Amino acid sequence: MSKKREKPSTFDTMEKYLEEIEALADELMESTFPEGPSWNTETCCLQALSNVFVTSREVIVTADLPNIEPETVKVEAVDENLIEITAKMKKKVRFADLGIYHRQGEFSFLRCQGRVHVAFDAEKMKISCKGGILEVRFPRKK
Amino acid sequence: MSESVEIVEKKTVPSEATMIIGLPDVGLVGLIATSYLISELNLEEIAYMDSDLLPPVVVLHKGLPHAPLRIYGNQNLIAVISELAVPVPAIYPIMREIVDWGQAKKVKRIVSIGGIPVESRQTITEPKVFGAASNQELLDMLNKSGLSIMNEGYMVGPQALSMRYSVSKKMSAIALLAQSFYNYPDPEAAAMVLKEFSRIFEIKVDVSKLLEKGEEIRLKARDIMKRTQQEMNRMKKSQEYDLPLYV
Repeated sequence: MSKKREKPSTFDTMEKYLEEIEALADELMESTFPEGPSWNTETCCLQALSNVFVTSREVIVTADLPNIEPETVKVEAVDENLIEITAKMKKKVRFADLGIYHRQGEFSFLRCQGRVHVAFDAEKMKISCKGGILEVRFPRKK
Repeated sequence: MSESVEIVEKKTVPSEATMIIGLPDVGLVGLIATSYLISELNLEEIAYMDSDLLPPVVVLHKGLPHAPLRIYGNQNLIAVISELAVPVPAIYPIMREIVDWGQAKKVKRIVSIGGIPVESRQTITEPKVFGAASNQELLDMLNKSGLSIMNEGYMVGPQALSMRYSVSKKMSAIALLAQSFYNYPDPEAAAMVLKEFSRIFEIKVDVSKLLEKGEEIRLKARDIMKRTQQEMNRMKKSQEYDLPLYV
């Protein structure tokens, strides 16, 4: 006897549609804004990896900042939605130091930007840095 | 359209070896650990993977082209690495091929090396390593060795498939997973997992150079970490944070 196929629930259908929309949005972003390199020889910056987490009370931004002088870390709210982190490296890194000889340039800074879609209080940020992992906490504005 | 996945052998492949798999994944733990092992033990490139499912990429090392997914080895050890974030649609056929090939080469066991994402990683000084195994006998062996067992949880990605295919082929497989950052390269976690690997399988590996070069590795690994994160998002890797329900 054939088993009767269960009809997917409205939530399942919605979840499926949302996943498809998310995948399409990712594809669109990738084709519209092709990624540039993770370095900029004009500003002497290497792009740092970073994350933005939003909780009910805080915005938490972390960044992987190896080889930096912790006292040079600068966190700045560029505008109400954009946070920029820069830090000076302990020693300059040339392409050759990374095993690349067909490019020229040297880098003194690590830099990254994080976009935040909720209001936060940049004046009250708390910064900590351990093992080159920077964590910045901003209280959310009510 | 052809979608072949083939392992092309360049040199004699040993049989009865332990096969380590270190593909790009959480914190690049497997890739960093396996690459370091290859260089420390001077393993030779013995094979590479050719597949239409991988992007049209070669990696140049010392001016010579190499396939991004390569296999190294000596008499006792086979090590699989990829210098390319493996695209999600390719993971199934690639892992199936690696396990099938391992079976054809009569490998003694497969050891997948990787990371377990831990949200509070920056507060952990010495990442802990957990193990999982394809059968009870191996699990008992890991337990006896003093390794903590990952009792409950989800595995997502290459090590999940290596485990699944190994079980279906009745092959011995182990996963060694260190607590790590999710999307920051984690050489410390790689060092911890290598220490455990070295202790359990009695293969001498000195991880001091890996720890010394940690900052340099983190700088060099930014690009592959970023691309790996994109693939991890596609494969819903964050499910590893979920709690399984089995009553």
